[in-house]
Amino acid sequence: MLEFRAITRAYELGGERAGVFGVSLTVPKGRLAVLAGPSGSGKTTLLQLAGLLDTPDEGEVRLAGELVSSLPEKARCDLRLRRLGFVFQAFNLVPVLSALENVMLPLQLQGRTEAEARERAEAALARVGLADRRHHHPGQLSGGQQQRTAIARALAPEPLLVLADEPTASLDHAHGGPLLDLMAELAQERGATFLVASHDPSVIARAHTVFRLLDGKLVEVG
Amino acid sequence: MILARLALRNLLRQQRRTALTLMVVVAGFLALSLAGGFMAQTFQGLSDAAIRGGLGHLQVMPPGALEGDEAQSLEKALPEGEALAQRLRQDPAVAEVLPRTQFMGLLSNGPRSVAFLGTAVDPVLEPKYMACAEALQNGALTKGGTGSRWLSGDPAAREVILGTGLARALDASVGSSLTLMSTTREGALNAVDVEVAGLQDLGLRELNDRFLTVSLGTADQLLDSAQARSRLSVMLKRPQDTAMEQARLQGLLPGTSVKPWFELASFYRQVKLLYFAIFGFMGLVLFLVVLLATANTLLMSVMERVREFGVLRAMGLQPRQLLVLLQWEGAFLGFLGSALGLLATLLLRTGLNALHVQMPAPPGSSHGYELFIHFVPGIYLLVALGLQLTIQVSALFPGLKAARLRIVEALRHV
Repeated sequence: MLEFRAITRAYELGGERAGVFGVSLTVPKGRLAVLAGPSGSGKTTLLQLAGLLDTPDEGEVRLAGELVSSLPEKARCDLRLRRLGFVFQAFNLVPVLSALENVMLPLQLQGRTEAEARERAEAALARVGLADRRHHHPGQLSGGQQQRTAIARALAPEPLLVLADEPTASLDHAHGGPLLDLMAELAQERGATFLVASHDPSVIARAHTVFRLLDGKLVEVG
Repeated sequence: MILARLALRNLLRQQRRTALTLMVVVAGFLALSLAGGFMAQTFQGLSDAAIRGGLGHLQVMPPGALEGDEAQSLEKALPEGEALAQRLRQDPAVAEVLPRTQFMGLLSNGPRSVAFLGTAVDPVLEPKYMACAEALQNGALTKGGTGSRWLSGDPAAREVILGTGLARALDASVGSSLTLMSTTREGALNAVDVEVAGLQDLGLRELNDRFLTVSLGTADQLLDSAQARSRLSVMLKRPQDTAMEQARLQGLLPGTSVKPWFELASFYRQVKLLYFAIFGFMGLVLFLVVLLATANTLLMSVMERVREFGVLRAMGLQPRQLLVLLQWEGAFLGFLGSALGLLATLLLRTGLNALHVQMPAPPGSSHGYELFIHFVPGIYLLVALGLQLTIQVSALFPGLKAARLRIVEALRHV
């Protein structure tokens, strides 16, 4: 599904060289894979490269066999819109839109009709248990509810790959666990691949595949 | 449409800031549209004064009549002016033709003589189409003007209406007998005794000091002008067709020069240019204020939403779609601002007109006028379009800033 081939992406951080260096790995389809490692190990950098938010200095990123790392910006935007979903640590819902409208947003950007987008968004919200909260704005939702809305937003367009950066970091254990169970269920149920960056042991415990990083290098696959 | 909805919600997010920006747009609209209404009043007043002051909608004159000093003599005149006037009256577009003879000479009360500029008009037709009454009413209020009336329609009557300054110079009043002296077409000196029928205040001191009006019959006797007329003032049935009719009549009347009133009313043109310069500069300043205010609002809004833009870009929004989003925000600000500005303009216009504010006399004029702000939809549309364009331009810079954000940096933005 997702393949990194000898990826290097370096940058300066606090006067020191950071990033990822010569990483090669493959994330199989329909799996919940975790990029694990301490802060500064390169988890987020790899996730950004997978999400086509950044370009590698060297190496290739392939998605479903297609070389995507060297695509022009317009094609990358299109790929992000149609084949990728994002879940962020800080939820990052659009504050002026309701939960339903947030989930509808990527669908409408894809060009779907309002009725179709609404139908899909309502189904996605129902799947994450927020049907009764669909008209609430992000400020009226708890952290766990906001993150579930974000998952619904990422999944509603039926992407090939969902990228999640520390999705439980802003949640307490009581909310983080069920959220991960939900993500694992959805990966199985929809055949979508989840790539999660996290150093949370409870996340790592639920993963089908774990890629351990240290100082920008892949040190273990389990 | 999702971008439009998002833009509207974003404006509602910071209501106070949006309201302040809207107030700037409304103030800009209000100032420009009221100024436009005032300009329209001035232009209409000046055009009425020019047309009804004797020019008519069109003037038929001999070619070259406006060159040199010959305009005030019959050496350059329409030799068959009366016949030409009769012919023009048959034209379906023409409401009436008012022949005029312009001449100059001396006006004497016996011991004293003063140079004058005279116009001879048809005493019956002239009051129907030209503004004679107001000048006479104002003249009647001056010393010696009591009992002022218009020229008699009797062809045998030899009467004159004097400018108030001219009457003062000759110590003349209504009923006084004076002598008009001038040269005939052949160059002989001639004189006609006339009685003062009235005094007229033409609003300009220079005119009041020199100007007099007589009937065409009186001028014909004085100048031996027969059928000759200096000019024909043509009143059209459809004044809005002046330019078109000028071209048509010019084709029909070879050997003459047909001029529209706005080419002859130099004061009107000068005032128009002056107003355009003044209000153009004012408009430029106001547009600049609106540009800076909306650019500031939208830029602040962009700076507050850096992370949100990063998320939207991560979701697949193209950079140009962020530009479009900001353009929508500008569009709503402009539309709402202009709509509120129009409402405020209509309310304030009604209020100001109801107050009957008296404006001071303009330079060169001897009396003031009442302020009336005209309803000018064309100007409102122009101002709204100008403001909209300004705001769309002001949204470009914030939009470009948003579009150029690097996604990974935007997502890290706190």
